[in-house]
Amino acid sequence: MKIAALGIDVGSTTVKMAGVNASGEMIWNHLEQVAPRVEKQVDSFLNKLKEEINSLAGIPLVATGYGRNLVHQAVKNVTEITCHAKGVYHQLGHGGTLVDIGGQDSKVIVIGAQGQVVDFAMNDKCAAGTGRFLENSAARMQVSIDEMGSVALSATEEVTISSTCTVFAESEIISMVAHGVAVEPILMGLHRSLIKRVVAMVRSVGLVPPLLLSGGVVKNPAIRKVIEEETKEQVFLPEHPQLMGAYGAALLALKVKQK
Amino acid sequence: MNMTIPPRKEVITDIKNHGGLVAAVLPIHYSRALLRAFSIYPVEVWGPPKVDVSLGGAHLQAYICSIVHNGLSFLKMGGLNIADLILIPHTCDSLQGLTSVLIDLIQPEQVIIPLYLPRGQREEDVAFLVDEFRSLYTRFSDLTGKHPTSKDLLTAIKREEMSDLLLTKLYKNRQQVGLSNIDFYRLVRSREYLPAEHFSTLAEKTLQAATEPRPGIPIILSGILPEPMEVLTMIDKMSGLIVADDLACCGRRLYAPGTSPDPFRRMAERIVYAPPDPTRGNSIEERLKYLTEMAQNSGAQGVIFYEVKFCEPELFDLPSLRAGLKEQGLASIIIEVDINNSLPRQVATRIGAFLEMLDS
Repeated sequence: MKIAALGIDVGSTTVKMAGVNASGEMIWNHLEQVAPRVEKQVDSFLNKLKEEINSLAGIPLVATGYGRNLVHQAVKNVTEITCHAKGVYHQLGHGGTLVDIGGQDSKVIVIGAQGQVVDFAMNDKCAAGTGRFLENSAARMQVSIDEMGSVALSATEEVTISSTCTVFAESEIISMVAHGVAVEPILMGLHRSLIKRVVAMVRSVGLVPPLLLSGGVVKNPAIRKVIEEETKEQVFLPEHPQLMGAYGAALLALKVKQK
Repeated sequence: MNMTIPPRKEVITDIKNHGGLVAAVLPIHYSRALLRAFSIYPVEVWGPPKVDVSLGGAHLQAYICSIVHNGLSFLKMGGLNIADLILIPHTCDSLQGLTSVLIDLIQPEQVIIPLYLPRGQREEDVAFLVDEFRSLYTRFSDLTGKHPTSKDLLTAIKREEMSDLLLTKLYKNRQQVGLSNIDFYRLVRSREYLPAEHFSTLAEKTLQAATEPRPGIPIILSGILPEPMEVLTMIDKMSGLIVADDLACCGRRLYAPGTSPDPFRRMAERIVYAPPDPTRGNSIEERLKYLTEMAQNSGAQGVIFYEVKFCEPELFDLPSLRAGLKEQGLASIIIEVDINNSLPRQVATRIGAFLEMLDS
């Protein structure tokens, strides 16, 4: 394994790291839940990798994500907007409108024909339209976050959750549960509520097809289905949707090395 | 370059020690010359940031912007006690509301003087403002017992015009004066409280220290004010270079010198024909033309609309303004802030991503 460059994405929920070879192919990756002490966690990431490949000398690291400024080993910090666009474009080979639903924020990025960011919008002020919305609701419904999508898709009917606000949605859920509504239709309604918020962001920048998805939340199959229903567009996913930020960062690190 | 700007408190104390009166002036447009002709020194109150807003919150709705909330809170905590009068231009509904709250309910010790501004650039708008300035003259006369002549007024006007010319020159040479984004705006914003003659000295010194143009990703900053000021340091760190601005506290007050021999008309014309400003009724088309030309002349690649949350005159124009800029090939982004909050990480990410986008 000949790693030429590394990227790390310190997100609000998980820390992802990707290694690429000289051709820009992802040949190594690692993902963990984010620890309270990010600096220590990054040190342990790098030590683990060092054990695998003996030396990290001459391998540049670019950091992105919420905690990018805490990665003192990085040669450069780049925002997750640029890194996600870079990673997805490199993996899929074309531009489009990328929706990245992360744990704490969501982004819509219009990627141009050459892979450049043309426009973007971010929802970063509240949990509406983010993974945290689902996480909170899953906890309230006592459904594991991993099963949430499949449980929602098993619904034969759907209720309307009118709140995109996480706190108010929780109140709505409590009220519905108290009125005897089953878990499945509530979960389906929750997915639609989240996606409607995301689609509003897509419309604010203007959808340039195809629609692309990245971020940990897209592992949830209900998210993909509902976003296709709401946008009437087929969605395309990269092979490792959750690692696109780290991958993009690694590609930028490779560029630093080649300069 | 090392630049020492006297702090606001020191300037106010000095004015008071020399028998001057202090007017606390709320945003945005007014005539400094008219006040100075009566030996009243304007000290502007743009918030200030980070005060206990609960004091003002008791009188204002939650959807009033933080500049107005903070202005009232600052007054209630005694921050304006040093002022002899409070001048409140009718900039927006919130500031007009603040005037009513102060006059009708709070009734502070200081005299509250409203200034009604016209919403257009027609001859009748100039005439309206001339009348307003004549009324203010009477009020200031009653307050101070002074009756400055036309010659006195013109002397005060020319002193301000000189200072504004130097300010305009600073803007034109901003890339050569060797100041970082934050130092440039510290200097420009000292005009909010420094007497014109002091500001002119500082500006002249700065202009003499010309250096090579600074590198950076060229952008325009638009909005009301760059608070918290850390945003400027952040833009510096991210290699952004503010090459021009459309800020209410700065670039929108680059008043051109007047020509009229009548002092009241001259003061009015300077404000009515100032750079476009939504609070003075300029249309979106005028603002779009102005911003596009500003970008062409400065080489700016994009516009950051750095807005105070709930600022209705600003936010109302933005969708059309941004769409127009996009048609001209100019990227833009909106950042909304509350001047009480420290700069959140999300703002850094948005601005960083915007600069990366322009740089790519």
